Amino acid sequence: MSPKAIQYNANSIIFFKGDVSEKIYILKSGKVSLNYTDIETGQEIHDLIKTGEFFGVRSALGRYAREETALVLMDSNVIAFSVPEFEQLSSQNTRIVIKMLKVFSTQLRRIHKQVQNMIYSQEQVKPETGLYRIGEYYIKNNRYTQALYAYKRYLTYYPSGEYAADVTRKIERAEENLQKYGQGRGPAEAAAGSPQEIEKPAKSRELAGLAKLYYNAVSLVSQQKYQEAFGEFKKIATAGEDEEYVAKAQFEIGRCLYYLQQYDTCIKSFTALIQRYPKHPELAEALFFVGKCYEDKEERQKAKGFYTKILTLIKEEDPLYRKVKKAVRELEGS
Amino acid sequence: MNTANTMFDRFKVSFQKGDVIFCEYEPGDNFYLIQAGRVQIVKIMGEIEKNIAVLQPGEVFGEMAILEEAPRSATAIALDPVTALEFNQENFEILMQGNPQIALKLLKLFSNRIHDQKRKFMILTLDDVEAKIADVFLMLAEKEPPSDTDSEKIEFKTTVDDIAHWAAISPAKCREVINHFVNQRRVELLQDRIVVKNINDFARFVSTRRRRQEHQ
Repeated sequence: MSPKAIQYNANSIIFFKGDVSEKIYILKSGKVSLNYTDIETGQEIHDLIKTGEFFGVRSALGRYAREETALVLMDSNVIAFSVPEFEQLSSQNTRIVIKMLKVFSTQLRRIHKQVQNMIYSQEQVKPETGLYRIGEYYIKNNRYTQALYAYKRYLTYYPSGEYAADVTRKIERAEENLQKYGQGRGPAEAAAGSPQEIEKPAKSRELAGLAKLYYNAVSLVSQQKYQEAFGEFKKIATAGEDEEYVAKAQFEIGRCLYYLQQYDTCIKSFTALIQRYPKHPELAEALFFVGKCYEDKEERQKAKGFYTKILTLIKEEDPLYRKVKKAVRELEGS
Repeated sequence: MNTANTMFDRFKVSFQKGDVIFCEYEPGDNFYLIQAGRVQIVKIMGEIEKNIAVLQPGEVFGEMAILEEAPRSATAIALDPVTALEFNQENFEILMQGNPQIALKLLKLFSNRIHDQKRKFMILTLDDVEAKIADVFLMLAEKEPPSDTDSEKIEFKTTVDDIAHWAAISPAKCREVINHFVNQRRVELLQDRIVVKNINDFARFVSTRRRRQEHQ
């Protein structure tokens, strides 16, 4: 089988609206009109096909009924392709497909807009609320990774949004729980699900801005952009607006220094942190970094000292416990 | 293919198992072609996470990002460690030129999306909420593969929330109407599916309402 040239006389029909067929046509010569009713205005539309233009593409590729009637206005020559033949042709000529993609994406945009206009005039969830609810769903089900993603996105897009203060609190809790219990485990989120009293707006806005800065910097760390992250955390720590965030940023600064292999500065930074915040929630983790610094500096005895200390501070079910145990084993093995 | 691969390398992104690739309602202008691993597309509907699809390597998702200012309509989560090519309006053409297979795949996807949107628009133009819901069932029936039996009864693996979503009405209102259909014995409402007893009856009902509306 190969593409077929077909002649049509004036006033004949190539296909009817509602037909199901897998043929795609290109107009070689003559005049063909696509007739259909505009879905928005109800007007009868007659679109003239230009010579060299494809038609019947969407319904053939999408395998649905024709949306137009193709009426031949004067004697015409067309070439009919089956879908596989069309695929063959387009694999040799990507330009055709790109051109069509552009046309289709314009059409898609237009129809999508029309649909949205209809829906907005009816009922629709605000994206802000929608994003918040997604975080709520995942946190309730202890799926911290997914909840954190949604919440952090929320703060990125709506740093002073309606739920910003609540979201900031929940991010912390989710991170704690993720650390403590691991993904998919942990307490039923009855407490977190309870309605939150609203804080003073000014305070919450400030906090949300800070939270945004902080989580942006955290995301830089995950992208391994330690130098940039370091700079951001430093800003938060020096601004000193909120003690909690200062403590958190101070910890992250140490972490960045470790990854930047500035071990001496890193040790200093964590030591200062431990002195200033002896009850820092990440205390054990901070000690672990100090230990790792010494290990990388080939000061094994000191490293071992810090590791052993950590083991007295945390419980066996803490994920850090295993890491530290392993580090000690490796030190003893080498 | 090798040269093409190196050319594509800079568009490569990877995700760990469980990572959210994007989240429903967030704005986004990237879309993805999966190279390795599976991606789950989900939607949170009320108290449940509804699985929309599990996509395999070679499949495209997030393609609605070409729409301006449209928030994501679903959430994409990596089911395995995933690598994907990340497209946007800028690199789109370069990627397409080197890979007619992807271009063709997108062309088919867009064809279907345009049709879905047009069909949705048709549903929304109906004033009468009962007709709207009946038309959603007609649309779902059009998507079903043609059955060999000429049965008028069709089972849909769908929920009230789904139907409400298509008809752009509240789930509560949708449930009320469907219950009304149940009382009329036109529909059976089961836990994981809805059975329409006579799809032709719905087709007649919708077309009558549509005609009446046009003549008003």
